[in-house]
Amino acid sequence: MIILEEVTKTYRRAQGGGELQALARISASIKAGEFVAVVGPSGCGKSTLLYMVGGFVPKSSGRILVNGVPVTGPGPDRGPIFQEFALFPWRTALENILFGLQEQKVPKATAHQRAQRLIEMVHLKGYEHLYPKELSGGMKQRVAIARTLAYDPAILLMDEPFGALDAHTRTMLQDELLAIWERDTKTVLFVTHAVDEAVYLADRVLVMTAAPGRIKADIAIRLPRPRRRDELLRDPNYQNYVIEIGHMMDRPAAA
Amino acid sequence: MNTMPRYVANLRQALAPIAVAAGLLLLWQGAALLVRTSYLPPMTDILPLAVNLVASREIFPDLFATLARLFVGLSIGLAIGIPLGLVSGRNRAVEDFVAPLLGMLYPVPKAALMPIVMLWFGAGDLSKVLIIVLTVSLPLVYHAQQGARAVDEKLIWSAQAIGCSPLRRLMLVILPASLPEILIGARVAMVIGVIVTITSEMIVRQSGLGNYLFTALDMGQYALTYAVILIVAALGFALDWAFERIRRQLTLWAPDRQGVDIAVTS
Repeated sequence: MIILEEVTKTYRRAQGGGELQALARISASIKAGEFVAVVGPSGCGKSTLLYMVGGFVPKSSGRILVNGVPVTGPGPDRGPIFQEFALFPWRTALENILFGLQEQKVPKATAHQRAQRLIEMVHLKGYEHLYPKELSGGMKQRVAIARTLAYDPAILLMDEPFGALDAHTRTMLQDELLAIWERDTKTVLFVTHAVDEAVYLADRVLVMTAAPGRIKADIAIRLPRPRRRDELLRDPNYQNYVIEIGHMMDRPAAA
Repeated sequence: MNTMPRYVANLRQALAPIAVAAGLLLLWQGAALLVRTSYLPPMTDILPLAVNLVASREIFPDLFATLARLFVGLSIGLAIGIPLGLVSGRNRAVEDFVAPLLGMLYPVPKAALMPIVMLWFGAGDLSKVLIIVLTVSLPLVYHAQQGARAVDEKLIWSAQAIGCSPLRRLMLVILPASLPEILIGARVAMVIGVIVTITSEMIVRQSGLGNYLFTALDMGQYALTYAVILIVAALGFALDWAFERIRRQLTLWAPDRQGVDIAVTS
């Protein structure tokens, strides 16, 4: 369970002094096991919001609680997945996935068993001994997802994870993510600028305004699960959600 | 226009340096035969002497003395320079203290400190190694700092999320991520390390190639002097060649960069 209370973020400007408000008083709550997408125009601070929940970036004011405990820094209960993959380039795919398990002193045999299961789950069999630079973008993101799942965080913090992938790979990974989420019931906070992706994946979509970012709408997505892409694409409800939220994003923020 | 087959181009590329070297040797030989002074002995005297120095193993004790000093100096330099560079590259407070030290030391020719170091630590190996350490540390600190600063923040976040302590992050993330840059620093350090080792041996004359070279000069054995210079040059070349091989092996994982150029200043 994640609770945000009046969370703000201001940056001190590098030149000319003064402060720049990136996020203005964000309040929201995300239930355990919920899949929540955050959409908004680029530069609205949606990634910053995610980084603050992760404890990577300090908030300026307000409160962020994860399972009732204030966030003071990163922790293994919140696993990040970044658009840029952020794999350790000097480690092979397998070694990347083992990283968290080794840090948590999981016995070697158990760790390897677990890594092998994850490799099969994200369809990387046969590629586990390659270095990141030898993998395609989609494979890199699969490794990154497996690396995070390996230490079993209750919350996944996904920062435009499929934004750097081609359309085909993106849809494949969306489906794989849904399959994982439906089985493991993790809480997911998913930042994206693609409205269709948000509607397809999420239980709820938070729509943010342009900077300084505020939450402009909180929309429950009432579409049947498990989600089937071809059914949804024909479903007028799905289409309405995409169109409506798209319109919200188009409209300039009220002054 | 250029219809030259590829293998001819490859052959030219391989032969060009050899041709240049041969040309220079010939030029030298011609000049020496023309001028006929003992200061410029012909290559036909120098080369056999150089070969003989190695074949007879006469140069070995001094060669090993030089290598030992270089090795000890480099090892200590690596042990000090890399951690200092990495930490100061990630921590502003440490950097604030390291930066003025580097700025002060950088422009000083380290060999010029030799007399003072000798006053304090005696005219022996300790002084020499100290000067070598001082010299090779600078490029190591600098490049480790640059490498550590450039580490992708999200790599560090990924490690933090897992619960990596600061020390573990330094060892498991910042060090390997900075390795390509550190090895560039190490290559510079090694090359200038050879220079300063030989220089220090010329100033404090006990043993080593620098000492051998100056002794030959003192005794007016000019052909022998040049022969030792050739051996020193070959040593520098061989060390750099070997290091470049090791560097490539250690950074096979790294995304390719454009040709790495290093400027050596000493």
